[in-house]
Amino acid sequence: MSPAETWIFRIVVAAFGAAFAAQIATRLRLFLRATNNIRFPDHESGIRLLRLVREVVFQSRTIGERPLVGLAHLGVFWGFCAFAVFTSVEFLQGLGIADVTGTAWFGAYRLILVPFSLAVLAGILVLIVRRVFVRPAELGKTVSLESVLIGGFIIALMVTFLLDFWLTGGVAARVNWWVHALVILGFMVVIPGSKHFHLVISPLTVYLRSSTLATVPNLDFEREQVGLETLKDVERKQVLDAFTCVECGRCQVNCPAHATGKLLNPKTLILQTEDALLAGKFDAPLAGLFDPGVLWQCTTCGACENQCPVGVEHLPLIIGARRGLVSNGAAPDAFAALYNQLERRGNLWGLASDQRQRFVQSAGVETFDASRHEYLMWLGCSGSYEAEFQKSLRSLFSILRRQGVTFGVLAKERCTGDIAKRTGNEYLFQELAQANIADFQAAGVTKILTSCPHCLRTIGVDYREFGYQVDVVHSAVLVAQLTRGLSVPVSSQVTFHDPCYLGRYAGHVEEPRELLQRFGGDIMEPERSGNNPFCCGAGGGLLFEEVEDGKRISQERLEQLQATGAGTVVTACPFCSIMLKGAQDSAAHASVEFVDLMTFVEGRLKTIT
Amino acid sequence: MILVIAEQQNGVLNRASIEAVVAAQQAGGTIKVAVAGAHAAAAAATLAEAAVAEVIVLQAAALDTYTLDGYVAGLAHVIAAEKPEHVFLPHTYQTRDFAPALAVKLGMALVTDCIATRGQGSAFVAVRPMFQGKLCADVAPVGAALITFQIGAVRADALARGAAAAPVREAAISVDAGTIRQKPEAPFREAKAAVDLTQAERIVSVGRGIKDQEKIELARQLAAALGAELGASRPICDAGWLPMDRQVGSSGQTVAPKLYLALGISGAIQHLVGMKGARTIVAINKDAEAPIFEVADYGIVADLFEVVPAMLKELQP
Repeated sequence: MSPAETWIFRIVVAAFGAAFAAQIATRLRLFLRATNNIRFPDHESGIRLLRLVREVVFQSRTIGERPLVGLAHLGVFWGFCAFAVFTSVEFLQGLGIADVTGTAWFGAYRLILVPFSLAVLAGILVLIVRRVFVRPAELGKTVSLESVLIGGFIIALMVTFLLDFWLTGGVAARVNWWVHALVILGFMVVIPGSKHFHLVISPLTVYLRSSTLATVPNLDFEREQVGLETLKDVERKQVLDAFTCVECGRCQVNCPAHATGKLLNPKTLILQTEDALLAGKFDAPLAGLFDPGVLWQCTTCGACENQCPVGVEHLPLIIGARRGLVSNGAAPDAFAALYNQLERRGNLWGLASDQRQRFVQSAGVETFDASRHEYLMWLGCSGSYEAEFQKSLRSLFSILRRQGVTFGVLAKERCTGDIAKRTGNEYLFQELAQANIADFQAAGVTKILTSCPHCLRTIGVDYREFGYQVDVVHSAVLVAQLTRGLSVPVSSQVTFHDPCYLGRYAGHVEEPRELLQRFGGDIMEPERSGNNPFCCGAGGGLLFEEVEDGKRISQERLEQLQATGAGTVVTACPFCSIMLKGAQDSAAHASVEFVDLMTFVEGRLKTIT
Repeated sequence: MILVIAEQQNGVLNRASIEAVVAAQQAGGTIKVAVAGAHAAAAAATLAEAAVAEVIVLQAAALDTYTLDGYVAGLAHVIAAEKPEHVFLPHTYQTRDFAPALAVKLGMALVTDCIATRGQGSAFVAVRPMFQGKLCADVAPVGAALITFQIGAVRADALARGAAAAPVREAAISVDAGTIRQKPEAPFREAKAAVDLTQAERIVSVGRGIKDQEKIELARQLAAALGAELGASRPICDAGWLPMDRQVGSSGQTVAPKLYLALGISGAIQHLVGMKGARTIVAINKDAEAPIFEVADYGIVADLFEVVPAMLKELQP
């Protein structure tokens, strides 16, 4: 390389470097001006590092949801990593800083890179074919030119690298070298403004993602926090999320609201936040940045966040924005009545507590006494008042008595605050939570049993933020332990609807299935089951929603369950049960029977003497 | 003497005001009624038909439109002049707005949301529900008190009418418009559902048990015969058999009629929470296990297609 060529290269690198740095600076400024909600390091650092290895190095989420695309991406990703040193060496030489290109190890390294470059080429071809010819809906209606350009860049890099083995010196080799270097520089300039910025920041975003799904920290009223009202209230992790989004559309594909024709699209929410940040609309009301009404179409099923390969957390944004609306009295009308009932009667239905008492008495359950009872049986709003779910609880009580487990209920209960929390009425949530925690502590509770996955989550996870830790277990998990070793012959074909708050949130996928198999159920799995179920439509307060745009989510789920051909649908959540039965009542062809998991088990347990 | 503050709009009294007059008649003694606002004269003429000693029309331009400051000033004036033993008011939104300020201004006790009074003079007590209606407290006010009456607690049709019209007196009072801090805008009505089930006294509601869209006609006939509105549970509206504004429940309208007749409604909890406030619930359902029977005052375990025609026959004039 002549001195003149070196100087030209230095100027080119400086110019491209400046263009790159300016874009980074804009994003860094937007990140730094946001409220800091990042605690680093924290007590989860170990878990986070392991996740970084699993999800970034081994691309577990990318491959998990879409194996072929994921493997193609893995090839490109590992190829890029392998090329890092090569590119550095080439640039050091080009800039006239150091030249190790003639060393033996570099020669060997170049040879090792050949299979990597082939993996990158294979991977990128798969991805380009998918994007340009297959064109899945989640990647947008039009083919992104930017993506094609990036694909072209990557092919050019690999081809120029391989060509270098044939070109021995001369002008052709220099041209090839320059093409390679300029493509890298061009790539660098395109990155920050494109979805390929995830190359730079997604490891950080993945690392910073909360290890508990849908973590939305409590508001601190002493500091006058009221939720996300305008764009400037959006916090640092959410800013990072907005810039990290790789627009792959996994969130969109898994969103039940989007799947049933509603406006809500979790991907669009993130991209609209990014656009508004770059446009500097800091004083714009957050809800106004999104499509009308979408914030109230989310069931908080968590599918979006749980599937995101780059660590974007959608729920803190959605629930944060709901809080901002509720704080300003802009909650949907249906919730006004609901909040009133929670405030006045302490339950979702606004019913008087003597009705709960009647159930407790008729079921022969004692008031919890820590000296005599192992478990506090938490009934929840449904267990206290909903006749159908009470049947399931009677079954649970009978199983517990048969297996010799002692339990009692509180003299009075109030809602855990699940719906208040998810709909953004944080003040009401904290009031309910603190009152319940005081009751638990006064009664000396150490173990809580519930049949409601929403209560499970709220008491078990959300109450921790108040410094309250207690063992809380869902009936499916406890009964699976209690009945280990028992079995009855197969008697019926069943399908199981995983509640989002049990399967996805709490990860209890195996226990309900163990129970079904143990007690004679031949399980026919529906599409979307296990830890990525399709929501029933009730979560996030939508049980109380007035009219639903598009198709009802419950209707869609019922059809998926019916398609298994099983005559019996087993549920393990009172809300799922209400929604799916409601869908069946509204359907022209009602054909399946619903049974709660506990009732299913009890009926067959009776046959064992 | 008891002074009743009546409330009117465009010359029309609301029923709660009549109920407050009835409450005063039941308490005994001399009764005067004060009424204010634009077109108060027309309302005064209606009030004069009741067995009361006098109707006072507050005359002041500043009182034509309701404002908190205006009413407190005007009513304080008339109460100071009349010196009643007690002041009775309907427990309306308007009363809830001004009564606390009026009580403070006059240094009077305020007893809200009462359902009756007992005794006279030093033995006078106002009966007031507590703890969401579980207990009733007898409140004995010290000195003259403002007492508001829960809407519907006293029957308006028990009003005693006078042999002749009571005298109507116009009381010119001065309210300085400059002291009124509130600036009311023109009243408007929010777009209401075409059908307002919340105001219905009787509702005949249909559920999935009706089976066929054509069979809804049967329920419609029963509703007509009973002078009732037609309601429905969510599946019926979801199926498009009746419009959404007929839906009763947590995701529809919350109703509190005197009579709620549930035809073929199983009673899913979302439906129950929308109609549990009904005074009398009659349920007809084939399934004796249906949750609707948990809340029903009268339950008929039978085929609605047998019961409803029989009812229609009985109801025929």
